[in-house]
Amino acid sequence: MKFIVTKQSLLDGLQRIQNIINNRVTLPILSNVLLEVSEKGLSLTATDLEVSIRTQVPLAMVEKPGTTTLPARRLLSIIRELPAEEISFETDARNITSIRSGPSFFKVFGLAKDEFPAFPSSDEKRGFTMTQHDLKEGLHKTSYAISLDESRYVLNGVLFSFKEGRLTLVATDGRRLALTDTELGEIKYPSDHECDFIIPTKAIIELERLLDDEKEVRLHVGENRVSFDLGTSVLATKLVDGKYPNYRQVIPSETAERVVLERENFFQSVRRVALLSNDKTGSICLNFSENNLDITSNTPEIGEAKESLTIPYKGKNISISFNPDFLMDPLKNLNDDTIILELIDEMSPGVFKLNSTQRFLYVLMPIRVSI
Amino acid sequence: MHLSNEQIWDQLSERIRQRISPDGYRRWFSDVHVSDTTSDSITLSVPNPIHQFFIESNYSALLSSSIEEIYGSFRTLHFIPRELQEQEQETPAAPLPSTHSSSSKKSTHSTGLNPAYTFENFIVGPNNQFSHAAALAVAQAPARTYNPLFIYGESGLGKTHLLQAIGHRMLANKKGAKVIYLRSEQFINEFIDAIQHGTLFQFRKRYRQADILMIDDIQFFAGKERSQEEFFHTFGALYDGHKQIVLTSDRPPSEIEKLEKRLVSRFEWGMTAEIQPPDMETRIAILQGKASQLQINIEPWVLECIAENILSDVRRLEGALMRVAAYKSLSGKSLSKESVDHLLRDVFQQQTRKNITVDQIQKRVAEHFDIRLADMSSKRRQNSVAYPRQVAMYLSRELTSSTLKEIGECFGGKDHGTVIHAYKLIKNRMESDASLRHLIRHLDKQLTK
Repeated sequence: MKFIVTKQSLLDGLQRIQNIINNRVTLPILSNVLLEVSEKGLSLTATDLEVSIRTQVPLAMVEKPGTTTLPARRLLSIIRELPAEEISFETDARNITSIRSGPSFFKVFGLAKDEFPAFPSSDEKRGFTMTQHDLKEGLHKTSYAISLDESRYVLNGVLFSFKEGRLTLVATDGRRLALTDTELGEIKYPSDHECDFIIPTKAIIELERLLDDEKEVRLHVGENRVSFDLGTSVLATKLVDGKYPNYRQVIPSETAERVVLERENFFQSVRRVALLSNDKTGSICLNFSENNLDITSNTPEIGEAKESLTIPYKGKNISISFNPDFLMDPLKNLNDDTIILELIDEMSPGVFKLNSTQRFLYVLMPIRVSI
Repeated sequence: MHLSNEQIWDQLSERIRQRISPDGYRRWFSDVHVSDTTSDSITLSVPNPIHQFFIESNYSALLSSSIEEIYGSFRTLHFIPRELQEQEQETPAAPLPSTHSSSSKKSTHSTGLNPAYTFENFIVGPNNQFSHAAALAVAQAPARTYNPLFIYGESGLGKTHLLQAIGHRMLANKKGAKVIYLRSEQFINEFIDAIQHGTLFQFRKRYRQADILMIDDIQFFAGKERSQEEFFHTFGALYDGHKQIVLTSDRPPSEIEKLEKRLVSRFEWGMTAEIQPPDMETRIAILQGKASQLQINIEPWVLECIAENILSDVRRLEGALMRVAAYKSLSGKSLSKESVDHLLRDVFQQQTRKNITVDQIQKRVAEHFDIRLADMSSKRRQNSVAYPRQVAMYLSRELTSSTLKEIGECFGGKDHGTVIHAYKLIKNRMESDASLRHLIRHLDKQLTK
């Protein structure tokens, strides 16, 4: 195997795959990256047996096609430090790779490609196409609500539900629930392709990094795995085993009060007031009265904070407490100017809503200050 | 105060209703029942896992305080989502009858689990704390934390108990979970049978669809090459499918002879936990637990006497207890020290211990290390000779009633300081070196047999 590549394109490629490489693995081959050179270019593959990513890197010149594996972290740090723009690679039959760039020369011991797990084939049962932008936005608005509690493993991921020409994404951790709904149009998939599956957290994190604002993504859904074809890169992941619980139960069916808030102002105020709430058990209180919102926090032995906002509110007076981080999460991850907040009373969940093309819903359970 | 499940729920729901909004009550509590109560826990049956997640996250403080008001004391809360139950009952591989009690009985029966082996009656001591914690973690979140879990230790220390407790807990957490428990011998027999009758496909299907596969006494796989290969593939299929695997053996994986390397490395992949013989306090606790379980009333000094004299095997401990209890109830006499000693004379290892001589120990140790018996009393200090000598000295100190000086004499006129040094050295090394621990126990067992 022999080729020449520019530093930047190889660096970009390695950075797309390096996150899923875990150095504390039991199989040494998993800390390596698979390099496959053909006339078309270089393809890099990394896997942790759950999630696999394969990405294409354009080459300046291919002298001899071939395959090898190299320790990923080490390769990345070498490439990052190299002084010259062009790098030449040459691998011998014993999987020893020579890397030359300007004045530098490295000889790195690799492992044979035979031990490297095969990239999961996309045994497509169902296929879906959508824009990468929509998927990225959808994940961005929901993924922060994923449960980190490993004993609730069906919640350790995002639910993908393809139904009636739309994709619904849901994440919840038992105290809040985030949902987005994207119109895909009838032509994007036949109706017998409708299905629900759960993508594990790790794959979600990587997807958010890999997704672009342009181009399309093609999902290949198999029996217990899914692959996302993003053009330059393909991410394949196992699915979370199990059925996502009935999340609709969480969403209030009625509402009493409805108020439109300026997202950024509201977010800034909450963030300032939250400075004086306790990290773990903190709560922040929203007091709604006519055309006014008082945001307060009060923590024994730390202090208290208060901020007032003028808002168009005509309903009954309500004081409701929320966890400050949970309150800020959607505000932080949206980019719309205004957001709708719906309330029933101080003991019922608050619901943030957006009615743009990608419908957004965030149900947040209140903290009951006195039991 | 004894209340039926319905009465408890009536009281509980009344309190909840007062403290949360009508909408919240309707949404989360309108279809909840109390399905089971014990002296320290309450199980709520909820329609869907989402109810469990949200009730646990948002209303657990409310529930606990309400329960405390009703009972005046704390109870732990458990949840059973009904939908999960029904859904799993529908799957054809686990046909379960409709009623709750018989369903649990049936599944227990079909998985070959002994109902007596549960976490609740497993006595935890410093010797098995780690294994117990690992087993508990596996039972709570199968295939999440330690996969595979490999438990090893001498016979009669509770490996099978832990294994089956995992199975019971999983069945309780998830009705209809496919729990497969078997001894390795059974696996081998069924495999041979499958080859003979050409039903390998069914055989594979059966094991590879398990949610948890537990195999007891895996050391019997040694030398069975085809079975090992079959198990290797089963292992791979389960591991890749995120199914839990739990194995036990009487020795660590690397010490099982004639076991393929690829299996050894896979066994060591997850978590390897050792169970050691129980210490004095744990032995007494085991006896007390057993006595109260069998509802027999035995004086504390008798339990102590048994625990003092039976050192390693839990089965033997329980056997001795049964014998004493039987004597007491049959003869109707109260127990005396003499009668206990007489009754248990053949099981008390201590008595056989008194008969062990330093000579026997030297002979046995020399045999084991394959050195000459004369080396035991020689002055040579090469490690190949000195180390076995130290082991022999350690055992002499532990197993005989000889004084340090007498022991020294037997080892070629060494003084008592040398013996103390050897004793301490081995004792220290045993703490960090599992294989030495293993060796000492092995020799000890052979000598006291």
